[in-house]
Amino acid sequence: MAANYWESTQRRHWQSTREQLDVLRKKLEDEDQNLVQMYPLAQLRHLSIYFNQQIGRLAKRLGVRQQAMATAQLYIRRFYSKVEIRRTNPYLVIATAVYLACKMEECPHHIRLVVSEGRTLWPDFFSSDTSKLGECEFFLISEMSSQMIVHHPYRSLTALQGTFSLTQEESVLAWSIINDQCMTDLPLLYAPHIIAIMAILLALVPRPNQTGAQSANNSAGNIASAAHAALSSFSQPKAGAPEKQGGGARTKLQRLANWLAESNIDIEAIVDCTQELISFYEVYEQYNEKLTREQINRFVKARGLDK
Amino acid sequence: MSNPPSSGGGPSSVSASRTQTLKRSVQQAFDDPNDRGVGPNMGYQSKVRVIDRYKVIGFISSGTYGRVYKAVGRHGQTGEFAIKKFKPDKEGEQIQYTGISQSAVREMALCSELSHVNVIRLVEIILEDKCIFMVLEYAEHDLLQIIHHHTQPTRHPIPPATVKSIMFQLLNGCQYLHANWVLHRDLKPANIMVTSSGEVRIGDLGLARLFNKPLHSLFSGDKVVVTIWYRAPELLLGSRHYTPAIDMWAVGCIFAELLSLRPIFKGEEAKMDSKKTVPFQRNQMQKIVEIMGLPRKEQWPHLVNMPEYAQLTTLSASSHHRNGGSSLEKWYYSTINSHSASSIPSSNASLGSEGYKLLSGLLEYDPEKRLTAQAALNHSFFQSGDKVSANCFEGMKMEYPHRRVSQDDNDIRTSSLPGTKRSGLPDDSRPGKRLKE
Repeated sequence: MAANYWESTQRRHWQSTREQLDVLRKKLEDEDQNLVQMYPLAQLRHLSIYFNQQIGRLAKRLGVRQQAMATAQLYIRRFYSKVEIRRTNPYLVIATAVYLACKMEECPHHIRLVVSEGRTLWPDFFSSDTSKLGECEFFLISEMSSQMIVHHPYRSLTALQGTFSLTQEESVLAWSIINDQCMTDLPLLYAPHIIAIMAILLALVPRPNQTGAQSANNSAGNIASAAHAALSSFSQPKAGAPEKQGGGARTKLQRLANWLAESNIDIEAIVDCTQELISFYEVYEQYNEKLTREQINRFVKARGLDK
Repeated sequence: MSNPPSSGGGPSSVSASRTQTLKRSVQQAFDDPNDRGVGPNMGYQSKVRVIDRYKVIGFISSGTYGRVYKAVGRHGQTGEFAIKKFKPDKEGEQIQYTGISQSAVREMALCSELSHVNVIRLVEIILEDKCIFMVLEYAEHDLLQIIHHHTQPTRHPIPPATVKSIMFQLLNGCQYLHANWVLHRDLKPANIMVTSSGEVRIGDLGLARLFNKPLHSLFSGDKVVVTIWYRAPELLLGSRHYTPAIDMWAVGCIFAELLSLRPIFKGEEAKMDSKKTVPFQRNQMQKIVEIMGLPRKEQWPHLVNMPEYAQLTTLSASSHHRNGGSSLEKWYYSTINSHSASSIPSSNASLGSEGYKLLSGLLEYDPEKRLTAQAALNHSFFQSGDKVSANCFEGMKMEYPHRRVSQDDNDIRTSSLPGTKRSGLPDDSRPGKRLKE
């Protein structure tokens, strides 16, 4: 339920294993083999990065908060686990998801405003007809079976930052890592508290050249290597706690490791989350915005989905 | 008999040549042959059709949100169903997708998430032909209907065991909602359903919302909440701080109404003026003060911070109220003893002093001191006397009349009905909410 993740529709209906997710997506592609062959697309992670950028642009114009953006991203991810992307106009889906997420997160915007901003951002791919967005809202809600209450890791992060005495900087970094994981499948795979702990872990691992990494994805390589180090420290727990000079973060890391060892939390899951995010950061390096955009625009135009 | 033309050829203006029996017209509210909305591209079309899955057997009620119908499943689904059809934004004209209202989105999301024996159960939501159909379990009774029955032909009290069971189940549902950060915000007898097996179900979450989303203050959205007779004093005094306590005040009012069979604070609503400023509900506050006495800052420290605090001084308290005395206790005992003279064995006198303590705990002025749902469940009222039954009708010889379901669906076409109209209840002029038949 709303306060209880364990009873939530998110856990009961929208959490799956990687294998299940793969089967779902494979099935969608198989059902539309012609489309898939005719319109090649970048890998899903790159599409997610692109969607995230577009959501960010729209959200900026509307003054939407991060949490509503995260909700919109999860709606889109759920939707595209059930509907082949080449059958849709992703720009319309993005705007609709933002419109709906804002209502759910209690920061609503008028449909006309959302449409006019969408029109400004994507003039060649976005109809000025508000009923198109209204129709897409039905589509979106229907595919989600009206299950629109979502649980994000932000709340767990807020609850845990005191437990691990995170500094302002560490909290901000963990927060931005949570933002980044919205571009991965993690929200469909793991409970929000698992993801929050992963973010805290990554925020605490010492980085080789510690700059005030605002957005984690700028220093993907750094984080990746540091996280690998942290993971290996987990594989040899309580091995004489190397907390000589490392200072605050290292002690905190040790505290996190001890805390995890005493909890019932699935360490494997956290390791897996960490790896997923690291490989996402690696993939991010190869992201080609122009190519991704052109591929999307091509099928939208060719199939007249912008009409 | 044919249907009057709908205002402007809306969804329900089916071809005139069609023979329209009354029964048919009910079905037609679901059956819109116009514009199935299949565009060349990503036109949305529902995977299931309401009329393929359910057979509509009548009309139950209508309100600002839309209309409710009674239905049975066509594919062996057990039980009966209430289908709530949300009114499209602009009825009468060719319907268009205009974006779903925030309150409908909230209700859909919350109902999909909630699952509790004392909260109405959602079966499914079907989005079809630009309309939203929420399929809910059907409940044969509601508290308004039950209370009304006890005024006919003369007043006779609801048996104490029934009152106790209803209150326990109602509080149990509230406790679940509040534990899940859901405020109902519109608790009143008409929204408390009772199944034929005596189980209480809190219904109509149309105004409900989560109170863990502080992105905007809870005040900024919809300014006026809760039917006026059940509105908590802090809301009447302009509080912007919503808490579960507002639901608990309403529960207290419902408790009182179950005992006396009349709304305890039956005020008249002051209408919004042309500037759309929310007026101080003087008459409603006056009704509360008449029984509860004037609130005092000694018993309610934050009282002085209420936006409408100054208005309180303009209210007249009767002489013994002037120093803040409450006559709730007197009201309570005269209410529960009033029927005993007429030698009806089921007098509510047996509810005793524990009943008064529960009532006064719920009708506490200070929202911070008001009983929470959890505290009320643990109240000695439920520990004393007979065991509380999960079936509020247990031991009853009579059966309440069934909900009236109308085949006369003409009202469905007239879109301009204000407030709620329900089938079959000649009602005591509830303010702006119902029309007499």
